[in-house]
Amino acid sequence: MEMYSNEYFKKLANQIMFDLSDEEIVSLKADFEIMLQQMELLNKIDTDGITEMVYPFEDETYFLREDKINHVLSQEDALENAPETKDGQIVVPKVVK
Amino acid sequence: MRIDDYKQGNLEKVVEAGEKAKASQERLNAVVSFCDIEEQIKDYKHTQSDLLFQTPVALKDNINTKGTRTTASSRILDNYIPVYNATIVDKLKAAGAVFVAKTSMDELGMGGTNLNAYTGKVNNPWDLQRISGGSSGGSAALVAEGVVPLAIGSDTGDSVRKPAAYCGVVGLKPTYGRISRYGIIPYASSLDHVGLFTTTIKDAATALEVLAGRDDNDMTTSYKPVEKYSSLLNSDLQGKRIGVIKNVMDAIEDKTIQETFKQLLDKLESRGAIIEDVVFDTDLMNALLPTYYVISNAEATANHSNLDGIRFGVREDGDDLTSIMINSRTKGFSSEVRKRFVIGSYSLFTENQDKIFRKAQKVRRRIVDALKEKLASYDVLLASAAGSIAPYPDESYGEKLSATYLVAENHMLLGNFSGYPSITVPNAIVDGMPVAVNLLAKPFEETLMLSIAKAIEEECGLEGYCREVSE
Repeated sequence: MEMYSNEYFKKLANQIMFDLSDEEIVSLKADFEIMLQQMELLNKIDTDGITEMVYPFEDETYFLREDKINHVLSQEDALENAPETKDGQIVVPKVVK
Repeated sequence: MRIDDYKQGNLEKVVEAGEKAKASQERLNAVVSFCDIEEQIKDYKHTQSDLLFQTPVALKDNINTKGTRTTASSRILDNYIPVYNATIVDKLKAAGAVFVAKTSMDELGMGGTNLNAYTGKVNNPWDLQRISGGSSGGSAALVAEGVVPLAIGSDTGDSVRKPAAYCGVVGLKPTYGRISRYGIIPYASSLDHVGLFTTTIKDAATALEVLAGRDDNDMTTSYKPVEKYSSLLNSDLQGKRIGVIKNVMDAIEDKTIQETFKQLLDKLESRGAIIEDVVFDTDLMNALLPTYYVISNAEATANHSNLDGIRFGVREDGDDLTSIMINSRTKGFSSEVRKRFVIGSYSLFTENQDKIFRKAQKVRRRIVDALKEKLASYDVLLASAAGSIAPYPDESYGEKLSATYLVAENHMLLGNFSGYPSITVPNAIVDGMPVAVNLLAKPFEETLMLSIAKAIEEECGLEGYCREVSE
């Protein structure tokens, strides 16, 4: 498959579970072109020996909490927003045919 | 409007705020859902000593409110009714706040114009044809209109501070980890902050006192004690060191913005502030937007993989699970959001991770290191918050790779990359439209930053300014 062809972008979209129309792909290609140009601005920066910055601060604010139950969501609440439920479960089409 | 206007009044004023919000909808289109005010004040038991006693508050629509629809301005969440409150919702309620409305935003926070909301454009209260800015545009517009004295937003890449500038209100984004994000529909977790809009610095300080603090449900929140920001405000500028980001001011083409900024500097200097130019490496400043684009889109793609219409949200028909998800996500997200997800996903491919995603994370560190070094010699850094007044929807910011766009319109990303506190303060009204400046301070130095912002407010005479007051 040709790199950056319509099929290529359609495949990318389908991998993350949605579709793009042909018009949307035209617009995406334009954005993609800008992104690739902007990458040149990133590549101008020397990052040899630099470690990635994943979060703003590296202070320890995390801890492993006690393995005790908290924050319990009732079954009723858990299913409150599900589009279709039956017998306390979320209904989806058959996965195994 | 100010918080004190409501604290001194009675609950009738809160009901009036709800009516004003409804009346403003035709003009502004700032609201996604109206809250049930009668229900909230039925057994109202707060006292005047509560910081937000009888205060009507608007919430951005990505903040979970138990029992009240929360859509993040996305079609896929159009029917979503949270079963729990965000931590800040409980904190605001405990302080006496009454919620008036859930406000419009760019879909899932992804945008800076508020044009990309499922409910349509939010109009700027000062000129309805112009944009409010985004992504917290609805919140900014309601405060600027004079509907509420306090509105909450979120800020991933200036999404509180830019609409604050366009709408002429105070927009505060505190230090990363200062306010819990538990229960806020995320955009990009390493950049997301809760922020707020008010018409005065004192109100911003008061609201921060209410909202700030450690929350074990958001493990990124800080253990640092919360200060009494509002009583610690001190606008004495004698000897305060203010660095002006020269790269930003040089990139601004608008002469009026330049002029009002220069006038402000003269005033601050006459109050004893020491003002010097600060120059960042041009390549680093030009890399701000590309770095943001890569990191935010990649994190957003991952964060929103749970929006599929299966467990919650709007489900579209399909023959099997895969087609249900694809149909729900295709119809549920706008074109703009889907484009961003594709770009985010592309940068996370194994073959691209090093050259795109990790590269951006490394550049982020270079940028933050440079900021830390520059800020070491100053109390705050100062620059114009935007390169122009609020634009019209079809008005271009100019060439996408120009300095005006890359630097002048995107410099506030410094606050998101670093997590440092930052605030937008209106500094002038030009031909009826507000212009504003932005301050950036060292981490957890909100008191100092708010104090300098207070001095700016005193010099500019726009304390409490909103459309209702100006008429």
